[in-house]
Amino acid sequence: MAHDARDGDEDAFAEIVRRYSPRVFRFASRFFRQRSLVEEAAQEVFLKAFTQLGSYEGRGSMEGWLTRITTNTCLNILRSAKRRPELTVSDLTEDENTWLDSKLADVATERHQSHERSIVAADLAARVLETMSPDDQLVLTMIDGEDAPVKEVAAVTGWSESKVKVQAFRARRKMREAVEKLLGKRKSQDKNLESAR
Amino acid sequence: MKDEHITNMLDNTPLALLGESELAAIRAHAGACPECRRAFEAAQVSGLLLRERAAETFEPSPFFQTRVLAALRERRAATETSALRRLWQATGALVSSMAVTVAALAFLTFISPSHQPPTVQQQLASATDSYSAEAVIFDQDNVPAGQMSYGQVLTTLYDDNTGR
Repeated sequence: MAHDARDGDEDAFAEIVRRYSPRVFRFASRFFRQRSLVEEAAQEVFLKAFTQLGSYEGRGSMEGWLTRITTNTCLNILRSAKRRPELTVSDLTEDENTWLDSKLADVATERHQSHERSIVAADLAARVLETMSPDDQLVLTMIDGEDAPVKEVAAVTGWSESKVKVQAFRARRKMREAVEKLLGKRKSQDKNLESAR
Repeated sequence: MKDEHITNMLDNTPLALLGESELAAIRAHAGACPECRRAFEAAQVSGLLLRERAAETFEPSPFFQTRVLAALRERRAATETSALRRLWQATGALVSSMAVTVAALAFLTFISPSHQPPTVQQQLASATDSYSAEAVIFDQDNVPAGQMSYGQVLTTLYDDNTGR
């Protein structure tokens, strides 16, 4: 199939797109939260793949090869975008504030979340991640969000396993400190409100 | 363990991957250390946030394949057009440079004054400027007033000799 597509066979290429687009979409969803952005990135991935089919020698799996192109494409798109400045409590929406409050209340008890609350949490996560580098976002989403092994992250990024571990350690610390800051400010705001009453 | 801060442990491994004994040690320390308790709470919230974020995925629309193929054709057409345009521009540049060269050569050959054949007047003028034998002979009659021609000089000399 790859051989036929390389020779310009559009049907063979269409089959590649049909077969691997769900995987590419899932992977691009780690980087973007808007459907249009995910679709744009996925399209770019397949156009790049078509032009680079000559370099695909068929040694590894087509899926792995496409995942690597997806990672590089999405990281490049994110790198070219301007990173958001630090997130502060005043930037949070009311829903996000409520979510943080409820998390503080029952952080120890694993209460099942409603769908709406999951969306709020995903929004908040995205907003915190947007303040971090694309590389940090990738390792955190894969390792901490999806329980992906370090080896898999190393395979899709082309980094060494030790680099992935160091990157994950630093990213985890940044994320924890950012959330700690938000939680701390929330608590002090609540105290101020109580004393004002 | 109880006296050691736990932040490195929190940052080293995702909380979900920590064993029961490690979590127990973390909880024990967090109970006594407010700073680490805050860090632990933040790590728990971070983990939850990241899980919620990772759970969001999109599936391709039914038209995605068509869209990619259309974009591919468009890109190919654009590449071919730009290649033709480049070829046309290169040809245009070559033809125009050749035309300029031909025009320059024609100018140098036929129009430039330095390469015009000399006129009759110019030839005569250059002839009078020189001191050729012909000029001396032909110009004997055009001697300015007050000067002797070569003929008169010779006659005077010969007359003097014969008079002796």
